[in-house]
Formats: sequence, structure tokens, C-alpha cells
Amino acid sequence: MAYLTWKEKLSVPTYDNPAYARSGRVEIDKEKCNGCGNCALICPSACLYVAGVGKNKKAYLMDDDFPECMSCNDCMAMCERDAIKVSQYYDFGLYYKVLHRGDLAPPRNF
Amino acid sequence: MTETLDMETKAPAKAAEFADMYTWHEGMDWNPVERVILERRSNRKYKDKQVPEALVRRILEAGRFAPSAGNSQPWRFMVIRDQKMIDEMEKYVQLRCKLFKFFLHWRTSPLGKIAWMYSQVGIRVRRNDLHPIPFSAIKVIADGKLKLFHGAPTVILILKDKRGAGKPELDCGICGHNMVLAAHSLGLGTCWVGFVDLLKYGTKWTRKLGISFPYDLVEGIAIGYPIGNPDGIIERELHEVEWFENGQRKTVL
Repeated sequence: MAYLTWKEKLSVPTYDNPAYARSGRVEIDKEKCNGCGNCALICPSACLYVAGVGKNKKAYLMDDDFPECMSCNDCMAMCERDAIKVSQYYDFGLYYKVLHRGDLAPPRNF
Repeated sequence: MTETLDMETKAPAKAAEFADMYTWHEGMDWNPVERVILERRSNRKYKDKQVPEALVRRILEAGRFAPSAGNSQPWRFMVIRDQKMIDEMEKYVQLRCKLFKFFLHWRTSPLGKIAWMYSQVGIRVRRNDLHPIPFSAIKVIADGKLKLFHGAPTVILILKDKRGAGKPELDCGICGHNMVLAAHSLGLGTCWVGFVDLLKYGTKWTRKLGISFPYDLVEGIAIGYPIGNPDGIIERELHEVEWFENGQRKTVL
């Protein structure tokens, strides 16, 4: 059984075509976020930023259709208020199609 | 001789003290070793504070006792704590990233269609090096948004001995991760830096560091005191596991 078709094997994705690719995404709980900016500070792909003043100061994901998020979840570990976490992991499709994965889950102590 | 005897008598006492913690029963809480493994995150912002030399030496010991194929220990470490040298390396790699960005990054390159062509050929030749994530990292580093060693005060470079048994590169990975886990258990932050590969594009650093046969630069590990508390348990996607047992096959998540 082939995991990738011949067409997929030979096609290099353009990395940002929504027809077959998706970027990593984070979800930010605007209620909990206090705009401290720690997540933006450590984001390896620099795809988070902080905007707003005073109480409205919040973290945002780049408005880009294809933020460079690699769903590493470092922001989730960094956030002291549990306001941010990855909601979708990246899949660039075709040759780089993600195989044999399940949903996101914290470590399970069997 | 007396030293070895001492170790033998001490070991069982220590084991008994922690036996409860390290005896598995279903649904038990994470023990300290598991905790270090699960909570380790790649840290990418460091304090200016230098790591004490003795602590780095201690971490290197963890690497020295890593398993390797045929006990060939095909690794060599280089510790760089010279801030000026680290800055120079960062600049060197940034320059190379700029070059690659110019020729390959079709979305921003002034070459336009030609860059698209180059990238399509390049990606097919270097499928791992130009995987979408490092591909965008090239741009982020070139733009100066990400520094090679993230401002870490200490860097350990791992070189492989090409003459090692089996898979020397894998052995370097094993010993590197030993060091990384030891560092995190001692309150340090680390990050694997694969972009040190770019130091090999040119003779400046291979000469300065003395990288030549049989050695080859494999990876770098940035070490320092992290800013804030970047370590913690997170969510990850589950991976399907094929399970063969009692003549049957099942897939578990």
C-alpha cells in the first residue's frame, strides 16, 4: 500500500496553497490574555505580535493567510494564564503531507 | 578500587529511597525524569548571565555516557562561550540566509519566476533542508528576526566522527539529547540549532574550528538561562502506532 500517490511524490507544494496546505494556527483567549507579550517574545517564527493599549493590549496571530506558525506550542508553555494554545498543526500537503497523526492531546499517564 | 566499592554500597540505598517514585503503577503521577522529558521545550530567549563552567562540564558528562553503536562514541564536542565569536557566527549564517533567500524565496525575491524555478529544483534535491519550515526559517533569519543561537551565552557544537560504527549521526543525536535533558533538569534552557550547517558553506569557520576529516559538524546546542518560564507540559498531536501482538495487528493512537 502506498502512502503517497505518484503525483504527490513528485509534486513539491508551493507551501501556501490553501487547496492542499494548511499552516499552523494558535487560538488566543482574549479574555485571559493580558498582553504581556511573552509569547511574541519566544515565538520561533515571529508570527505573534502584541497590539492595543492598556486593557485592550492583547496578543494576535499574524493576519497573514499563511502565518509561519510551526505549531510548536512553545507559546502555550510560556503563557502563565493559559490563554494561548495551538488549535491546528501544519500540513503542507503533497510531498510533505502529514501522515498517521491524531488530534492534539497533552501527555497521558497510562 | 575503594571508590568503586563506595559506589556499590551507596547505589542500593539511593534506589530504596526513591523506589516508590520509580515503581510504576497505572495512572501514577509523572516521576522527575519523565517530568524533565515532558516539560522540556526549546527555549529561544536567554538572559545575559553566563552559565558557570563547572555546570557546562557536568552537562558534557551526560553526553559522554550516552549509548552509541558498538560503543564507538563517534562524537566530538566544541564549547563556544566567546560572545564575539558567537556574534560572528550569527552574522555569517545570516549572510548565507540572505543569499539563499535571494535565490530561492520566490515570494520576496526580486528574481521572481527565476527564483521559483531555482526553488523547485532546489527543494527536489534537498527535500529535508528545504522543507517548508526551514525554508521559512531562512527568511526569518535573513530578516534578522531570529538569531542563530537565540542570544545564548554558551553553545555546544557536536561533531560526528565519520568513521563511527553504524549511524554516527544518530549517535550524536542521542548524546546531544542526553546533554539537553541534563541541562533542563538543572534549570537551564536549551535549543537544538540545525542551521549551524550553514557554517560549512565557506572555509572561514571550518578552518577556524578545525572541522576536517574525519569530523563533520552535525548540530549545535544553545545553552543558557531562559527568560521567564518557557518549560511546561503542552499538547501535541497523537501519532498512530502499529501494534503487532498475538498474531494480530491493530492501530493505537
